Amino acid sequence: MSGLPDLPALGAPPRIGPALLRVALALIVVYGAIGAGLSWWQVVEAERLTSDPGNPLLLAAEREGRRGRIVDARGVVLAESVPGGDGSWTRRYPHPEAAPILGYFSPDFGSAGLERSFAAELLGLRSLAPGGDLLRKLRRDLYDPQDVQLSLDVRLQRAAVALLRGKRGAIVAIEPASGRILALASTPSFDPNRIVDPDTGAAYFADLLDRPAEASALLDRATMGRYTPGSVLKIATAVAGLGSGAITPQTVYPEQPAEERTGFLVEGFRVRDGHHPQTGQRTLDLTGAIEVSCNIWFAHAGLDIGGERFLAWGERMGFGAAIPFDVPTAASTLDGGDGFVDDVELANAAYGQSETFVTPLQMALVAAIVADRGTLMRPHVVDELRSADGRVQTIAPEVWRRVLDAGQAETIARAMQQAVEGRLGRRFAGAAKVPGVPTAGKSGTAELGGEREPHAWFIGFAPVEAPRIAVAVIVENGGAGSASAVPMGGELMAAWLKLAP
Amino acid sequence: MTGRAGIANRRRPRFRRREALLLGGVAGAIACGWVSLASTVAGRPSVGDPSLLLAFLGLLAAAHAVLSLAGSRCDEVLLPVTGLLMGLSLLIMVRLPQGLVVQEFGPLELGLAPLQLTFIGLSLTAATVIAVALRSDLWLRSYKYTWAAAGIALLLLVFAFGEETNGARLTLRVGPVAGQPSELLKILLVVFLAGYLADNRALLAARVTRLGPLRLPPLPYLLPMLAMWGIALTIVVVQRDLGAALLFYAVFLVLLWVATQRLGDLALGVLLFVVGAVVLYALFPHVRERVEIWLDPFATAQGAGFQVVRGLYALGRGGVLGTGLGAGLPGVDGHPSIPAVHTDFVFDALAEELGLAGALVILALYVVLAERGLRIASAARDDFRALLAAGVTLVVVVQAAIIVAGNARLIPLTGITLPFVSYGGSSLLANGIVLGLLLSLDDTRLAAPPPAQAIGRRERLRDAAGAVAGRVERVIS
Repeated sequence: MSGLPDLPALGAPPRIGPALLRVALALIVVYGAIGAGLSWWQVVEAERLTSDPGNPLLLAAEREGRRGRIVDARGVVLAESVPGGDGSWTRRYPHPEAAPILGYFSPDFGSAGLERSFAAELLGLRSLAPGGDLLRKLRRDLYDPQDVQLSLDVRLQRAAVALLRGKRGAIVAIEPASGRILALASTPSFDPNRIVDPDTGAAYFADLLDRPAEASALLDRATMGRYTPGSVLKIATAVAGLGSGAITPQTVYPEQPAEERTGFLVEGFRVRDGHHPQTGQRTLDLTGAIEVSCNIWFAHAGLDIGGERFLAWGERMGFGAAIPFDVPTAASTLDGGDGFVDDVELANAAYGQSETFVTPLQMALVAAIVADRGTLMRPHVVDELRSADGRVQTIAPEVWRRVLDAGQAETIARAMQQAVEGRLGRRFAGAAKVPGVPTAGKSGTAELGGEREPHAWFIGFAPVEAPRIAVAVIVENGGAGSASAVPMGGELMAAWLKLAP
Repeated sequence: MTGRAGIANRRRPRFRRREALLLGGVAGAIACGWVSLASTVAGRPSVGDPSLLLAFLGLLAAAHAVLSLAGSRCDEVLLPVTGLLMGLSLLIMVRLPQGLVVQEFGPLELGLAPLQLTFIGLSLTAATVIAVALRSDLWLRSYKYTWAAAGIALLLLVFAFGEETNGARLTLRVGPVAGQPSELLKILLVVFLAGYLADNRALLAARVTRLGPLRLPPLPYLLPMLAMWGIALTIVVVQRDLGAALLFYAVFLVLLWVATQRLGDLALGVLLFVVGAVVLYALFPHVRERVEIWLDPFATAQGAGFQVVRGLYALGRGGVLGTGLGAGLPGVDGHPSIPAVHTDFVFDALAEELGLAGALVILALYVVLAERGLRIASAARDDFRALLAAGVTLVVVVQAAIIVAGNARLIPLTGITLPFVSYGGSSLLANGIVLGLLLSLDDTRLAAPPPAQAIGRRERLRDAAGAVAGRVERVIS
């Protein structure tokens, strides 16, 4: 016999028909799942995919299509397409001072700024009309270029750029009640007209790229620059402290007057307070500490708040992640992104040193939170999209976060007013005073260590009661805040209150 | 007996009414698509140069006429369904840049669309000839091991002499004719499996060996399963053809389950699949890369994930109703935005221009094809025909599912064709043969299956084992 095992008696094999039915059902399930997957891409994700900046559709459309215009809040044209000789379109920028936010579009060198992030709208790959995308295929014209209207006012923008002339720095001006960006300047800047000009473009763009990072003209410092904030961050600490309940407006630290002379010893590190005028034996409360910019008081407050709560409240104000905005933004951090390693880092962070790194946009938002009495509106610079057939899509202001009680915000607002107008405060921030208008503000001098000049900072808003503008100003290596950034902030606020009475 | 067979073989022409109606609908739809495409291209109402369209409609009509004249009683839905898929294929090939593929035949230079129409003609001819002329399946069922050996020989030839395309060794060239044998191989393997499983399924369904908790059939009956697994693995390792391997293995598993209806078989098969997948993932960078692309194609949108990301853009652009034929698929510097858009990614191209609506219709066509094929299988007169019909049906619809799911990033992408739609002669020819087999299996004219052999189990077992051994020896030598 063979080595094969003995087989048991075999019954009739199972019938095939019912098994085939189950196979058919399984196939229907599989195909149903595939159909669902396709629906995901073609319905749910369709818009995101179509407006993805990497989509070759954009490339193809950009080569042949006309882009919509970008206009400022009053309709002044900031960017438009003009016909070139050969049926193509060239971009023209009548107000190159708005370049940091506009960016550029060049068929040769790509795009940046709003020209990049709103490419799908400017090219009109999506229609504003309901069902327009369905009907568009019946027309020959595939694109429906839209005009993009900004909240930016080119007059204020021009003023901001003029203030920064010859310096490296950034200015952000925002309407606190709506989150609308009024001006967004960054210097040194570039002339987008020279990038898109076929004659000068290559040499000019190469030159821009060649510059060292710290002198970069293509970097939008207002949204992407990350700087040590110095004392302007104390406003964020005050928000975190009052909001979390770690401090009250009446909080005083009895040891603080003595520590003004000896320093405040935290785990072997001595927090010093060199430059505010002697307040003698007087213990400072919140208002006093803001007015004279007391490092020691805020170091105590920071330790009272604690690292975890400080970070959590920072997040409510927008720290810790990129701020959702109409162009890409960098994330601001209180802890360098890696947590507070010890109390020394926390105490120093509370008055804006150690590993705090912030964008000017973030600091403008901190000012806006206080100005709008605790509410943080989502910042935006695009107000409206308009298609050629007159359809309009308005981007309504929306509340991003409710950060603080109105009463607590009022305390900080009044303290910031003291910092500008108070007897002691005005020695630092008095230059920000808008004549005849109650003004609030906070100056900052961000020590960088070594031989480098500190960054000069100012954040503020006016009028104090019903603020119409909040600003953040930084001048890189500008020395003490009071010397350069503070008067610039004041002039900008004054300019706006005059332009929009 | 002979008298009845004689009468059956000389049937009178019979009008296939349902097929004619459905084909009329297909012709109308494709003609509408043609006009829409030509008008979009011309920018005004136009029919362009309709010669390719007319030739295609002529081919469909001819296939229908031959089946009618031969008095065939086979299924009347399959030809319209595959005809519609082929028509969509023709439309998208006409729409794509013709320079994607150019072949010269003496003074004649053919671009993408004329070549594809030629292949469609070949495919329909193969289907019709098999449907009308196949009178007996004895030669299929009697020589199953030979078919299997032929398939494996084909595989070895490709290993030895194949040309590489996109890192996969798939193409075999004989003189001016180049083909992808794995397309034919899938049919040969199904024929073998149908024969083998039909003969032995009673034995396979009985469990006699215990291995731990598993109840297994006698070892000789396990060999084919392990062999299939090995073949699939080999294809991945040597040919780098993940799609074909997945297809073969999936079809094999389903057929095995249909034959034995033991969940244990399915479980063991899936277990082997998982083991194989893990080992391949660990050992082979090209497998790992596919999985990484699948998990996050956007991470390497300018590199490895380029093709998949471009495919997704196409899906997104298509939306619900699509851009319309001729209006999608932006060219970048004259190249289509998706690499391999005429072969592996043809589904995304259609989904962009015809939208989700069109994409779902295409999926539905494969579901109808599956329903007709499995219906033919369940009505078959014996196990061999049932398994053969089910197997060839599965080969088509599982392949379609694998590539569409890959295109839509539901599973890692594997490069196989979309049956009846992708550009390619081998693919169309093989699928034409499938269509022909299904039609002939559904025809009452096919000779009655031979009675089950009355030999003892033991002898059959021994014969089977001996035959396997013999063929394996031959193959190895």
